[in-house]
Parts: sequence; C-alpha cells; structure tokens
Amino acid sequence: METLWIIILVGYAICVAQSIFALTTKRPVMRRTALGALAIALGAHTAWLLLRGIRTGRCPLVGTQEMSAFLSFGLVLSTLIAYRWFHANALKAFIFPIVFVLAAIAAVSPDTPGRPTEFGSTLQSVLLPAHVALLLLAYASFFVAFGAGVMYIIQERELKHKRFGTVFYKLPSLDTCDAISSRAMAIGFVLMTLGIVGGLWYSYSRYHVYWQAGPLEIFSAVTWLLYLIIIQSRINAGWGGRAAALASILSFIIVICSLIGVRFLGHAF
Amino acid sequence: MNIVLVGLSHKTAPLEMRERLAFAEALLPGALSTLVDQEPLDECLIVSTCNRVELLASTPAGVDRGVESLTGFLCGFHKLQPTDLNGHLYEHADAHAIKHLFRVASSLDSMIVGESQILGQVKEAYQQAIDAGTIGRTLSQLMHRTISVAKRIRTETGVAQNPVSVSSVAVELARKIFEDLTDKTVLLVGAGEMGELAARSLIDAGTNKLIVTNRTAERAELIAVKYKGGAVNFEAFYDVLPSADIVLCSTGAPDYVIRAAETKRALKSRKKGPVLFIDISVPRNIDPELAGLENVFLFDVDDLDSIVKTNIREREREAQRAEAIIEAEVQQFVQQLRSLDIGPAVVEVKELLLQIVEGEFKRNRKRLGGLTKEQESAIEAVLIPALVNKLSHPMIVHLRNAARDGKPSQMMDELRKMIRID
Repeated sequence: METLWIIILVGYAICVAQSIFALTTKRPVMRRTALGALAIALGAHTAWLLLRGIRTGRCPLVGTQEMSAFLSFGLVLSTLIAYRWFHANALKAFIFPIVFVLAAIAAVSPDTPGRPTEFGSTLQSVLLPAHVALLLLAYASFFVAFGAGVMYIIQERELKHKRFGTVFYKLPSLDTCDAISSRAMAIGFVLMTLGIVGGLWYSYSRYHVYWQAGPLEIFSAVTWLLYLIIIQSRINAGWGGRAAALASILSFIIVICSLIGVRFLGHAF
Repeated sequence: MNIVLVGLSHKTAPLEMRERLAFAEALLPGALSTLVDQEPLDECLIVSTCNRVELLASTPAGVDRGVESLTGFLCGFHKLQPTDLNGHLYEHADAHAIKHLFRVASSLDSMIVGESQILGQVKEAYQQAIDAGTIGRTLSQLMHRTISVAKRIRTETGVAQNPVSVSSVAVELARKIFEDLTDKTVLLVGAGEMGELAARSLIDAGTNKLIVTNRTAERAELIAVKYKGGAVNFEAFYDVLPSADIVLCSTGAPDYVIRAAETKRALKSRKKGPVLFIDISVPRNIDPELAGLENVFLFDVDDLDSIVKTNIREREREAQRAEAIIEAEVQQFVQQLRSLDIGPAVVEVKELLLQIVEGEFKRNRKRLGGLTKEQESAIEAVLIPALVNKLSHPMIVHLRNAARDGKPSQMMDELRKMIRID
C-alpha cells in the first residue's frame, strides 16, 4: 500500500511541476515525461482504490483517506475529460496542485478501515456509496469550474492591463474558460442533484425521514440552490463573462466551506 | 563536388535592382536550362521572389569558376554589366552556401523574420528546377535537407509564432477572447482603407458577419457589398452595437466617435460575454474610458503597436536559437555530402585491387593446372570479387572517416601509394 502511495505522489508531483512550468515558460518541457508520470500515477491510484475495495469488501468511500483518494481520482478524471473536450492544457496547472494535496492527505491519513456500516437492506448498501461517490464527483466538477473561473479572471486581467506575457499566451481564450466553467458546472450540478436524491432516498430507507435538517443537509440545500441560480442565470439571462467566472469561483468557495463545516460538525458517514 | 551560390536580397540591393534581376515565372524554365548548360555547372536552381534572387549550383570544378559562371549568367541573362552589380551581390560556397540556403528557407534572412511565404517559394523553385531537369543528386539532397531544416525551425523555435502586423495582432487578440470567430459579428466604424484592411483580416480569420457604418453612407454600402455584410446609418450605429462582438474603429474624426456613456447604455441590452473594441485611428476615436466597462476590452494603435514590437523582439530572440540549429545542421550536411563524395574514390580503390588480383590470377594460371569450366568461373565470379571486397573494406572505412574530417583526397593519395605497385 505504502509503495503505491509513493508512486502516486511522485507521479502527481511531476505533473504539478510540469504543468506550472509549462504555463510560465515559453516552451513546453518534459511533456512526455509528465504524460508518462500521469499514466503511472493514475494506474497506481486506480489500483489502490481497487485493492482497498477488495480488502474491505465495500466501496472505498469511508473515512478521510478513502474520500481524499477518491476525490483526487475524480479530479484527475475530470481534468482529463476537460482536456479532451477543450484542449486547455493550462487547466492542469490549476487542478493538479490540489490533486497532489488530496493524494498527500490520503497518503498520510491513518489507515483506519472504520467500522463496517450495518446496512438494513441491499438497497441501502448501494444508495450510500452512490450518494457519496456522486457528491464527490460533483465537487470535482465544481472544482474544474472553479479552476476555469480562475483562468478566466487571470486572462481577463492580462487583457485589461494589456500584459501579454507567457501566461497570456498559454492560457486559453476567455470563451474557452467560460465554456469549461459552464459545462463543468452543469455536469457537477447534475451529479450533485443525483447525489442528493440518493442521500434522501437512503435516509428515508434507513431512518424513514427524508430531511433531517442537520448542518450537512442545510449546507447541501444552500449549495444546490446557489448552483441552480447560477446555471439558470447563465441560460436564461445569457449571463457570461466576468460575473459568471466570479460566480463559479465564489460558489466553489462556499462548497469548500460547507465541506469543512461538515467535517467540524460531524456527519453520518 | 562544390556547391556555389550567388544572389542578392533586400539586405544588399534596392528594390529597383531586385526588380531588374528577378526572373519572371514564364522565363524560368528557359533560364534554368541555359544556366545548367554553363561550364562547369552540373546542377542548378533559381529562387526568385520580390525580396531576393538566388542562383544555386553544384560544380565539380573549383568554387571560383562556379561563382564566375553564375555571375556571368546573371549579367548575361539580364543584359547588365558585371560592374552594375558591384556591391549588391553576395557569393557563397560549400558550407557557407548551405548555411545561407538554410537561413533563407527558415525565414531568418527575411524582411520579417519568421514569415511563412519564403519556404513555399523555395519549395516552388525546387519543383521548377526538377521540372526543368536541372536537379541531380547533390542539389536534391541539399533541397530536401533545406526544407526539413526550415520545418524543424518553425516547430522547434518560436520564430514564426507571434503575429507581427497590426492586423494579425488584432486577429490574435480576438482569438484570445473568443477562440472561435465563426459566429462573431464585426462592426466596422469608418470605412477607410486602414479599417477595411483590419476588417478584412478578421473576415479572413472566419468571422461570421460584417456591419459597416460610415459618415458617407455610399462608402459604407460599397464595403458592405464587397464583403457580403450590411451597412447601417452612422447616426444609428449605437443600435447595432450590442449585436457586435468586435468593434473596429477607424475614422478621420478629430475626437471620440464611440463615447463611453452611450456605449455603456447600448451594451446593457447585450446578453453575451465580452466585446472587443479596436481603435486604429489617430487621433483616437474611442473614448479610453470604455476600457473601464465590464466585459469590454479596448485596444488602441499604441497597444497593438507595442504588441507588434514585443513580438518582433521575441522572434529575434528565437532566431538566435534557430541560428544554433542551423549551424549544427550545416555541419551534419557537409559531412553527409563529403561521404557522398567518396563514391568515385571507392570505385577507384576496388578497380585497383581488382587489377592486382586478376593480374596475379592470370600470371599464375598455368601453375594451377587443369581446371574445369565450373572451377574457372567460380574463381572469376566468386573468389576474386570476394577477395576484392574483403581487402577494400578497411580501406573504404578509412576513406569514409577521412571524408568526414574533410581530407578524402589525402587519404586517397595514401591509398594509391599503398596499392599501386608501379
């Protein structure tokens, strides 16, 4: 297990270094190396999740270690998908550092498989992991939207201040940043909605109540509404540009706060 | 084999001189076949563009005779005295000629470093020479290498990367905002020549629609028809402003034509992202305060100009990297050429060895006694060539090494001394 984490961390560290280097220097360097490192790290990451699942006999979504591992995995996947759609290389420089941090958290977290949750039915044993996985993937998407929003704001500043340095040439166009952000947000919203539905269903199946009005539930409802409003304004009011970019940044910060809040106040998982 | 090159370019000759020495396309095939017939030239090629004329040839004779013959042809063809060309011509031979050619094709010698036309022109010149039948082994190798070096420099260095004209900078900025221009609308305010030029490069870059407005409506109509766009009344252009993604302003007005307050009001009804304003008029026609509006990006002539200047400096820096690549490529090609050159020497060595072996065989034939026909032919067809090959192999290796160091003829003399018994 430990060796896997070393491979994963070294691989992601190379990706972080290369992506930042590529953003700030003229010529692309170590592109192949970084690609190889990413492939190896992602392979090891997948292997860890699978081995963990096999060892514990459940989805690896319980406790800090597994959740960090899964979230960083989801982030890498979202970045790869965003790259496939938009060819925005610069995005990596904004996302991989967090991937690395999350992987590091997972690597140093105590290896506590935790008490196996006693499920009342098969339905419950499917709903809970689905609920957690969907929400984590939604957060990964929101983070991509956040990264794209940050790129938008930086690029906008470069344009406004007429600074045409390396970063200006390496960052994608404003429209591309906007497109990444809006698509990531839409996907994240769908995942979040499904995740919440799964959570409500689980709650009903297990406790016979849909809504417990706990801190997590309230935070989730607020975030969900917030994203709903942003997406709705984008579609109906043709909202775009700077305001939309700022919205994707701020809303993600609220998501982070909600997550931290949940950790402090405790939660059912 | 020597490579010689004679030419003139924008750096050495004024336009008037370049015009007189240019080869019209229709005359080129004739010129090439006349040139290749000159003593002592083997192969030749002519690159003729508005910025340069280059005559390239290979010759088995010395460099001086080759250059002389090229210069003579250039004067003769254009009916000029050699003195007319004094100081305008440059002459290069071998490694210098190869380097010059690499630099020209890679656009390091161009008026605007990194421009892409010259490589196309060099390729075309090569094709014309092939068609005229004036290309042999040496020049064909040289030209292939030249083209691949030029491509390498385009991809490995940034000499051709950033735009260096005001119009192309405007397009680049538009791309940095919109990425895809195909659904974008351009509003051209002022239908002057400069404005039209800039609008045209945006249209060439793929913008969807052009709206033109001008104080004299006829001129606006004219441009609109020319580019299949629409014209609007000058007084009413604020009404169409919200539908434009790129606003190009170029009028001769002494003050602001596009004012901040009106623009702010007009843009309120706009529902899609950013707008790019480009002001190429002097004095400025767009109120600089516009730059303070959200989602508005404003660039004036000075901004575009400073980007152009930075990009030119950038290209010059990259050109230095390109020079290093060329230096290395020239070295490599010269070596390759030299090892090509040992072909005749190899034949000579084998010839000499064959004479010795065959001579000895014939001299000692009687001692071998009665041989069957099969045995005799086996000796002649298999044994003797095998002996020659075995014996010559180390010599050829030495020759090749000597050629790489540029001393094949000394080595050949040594070998002759060693082999010959005379």
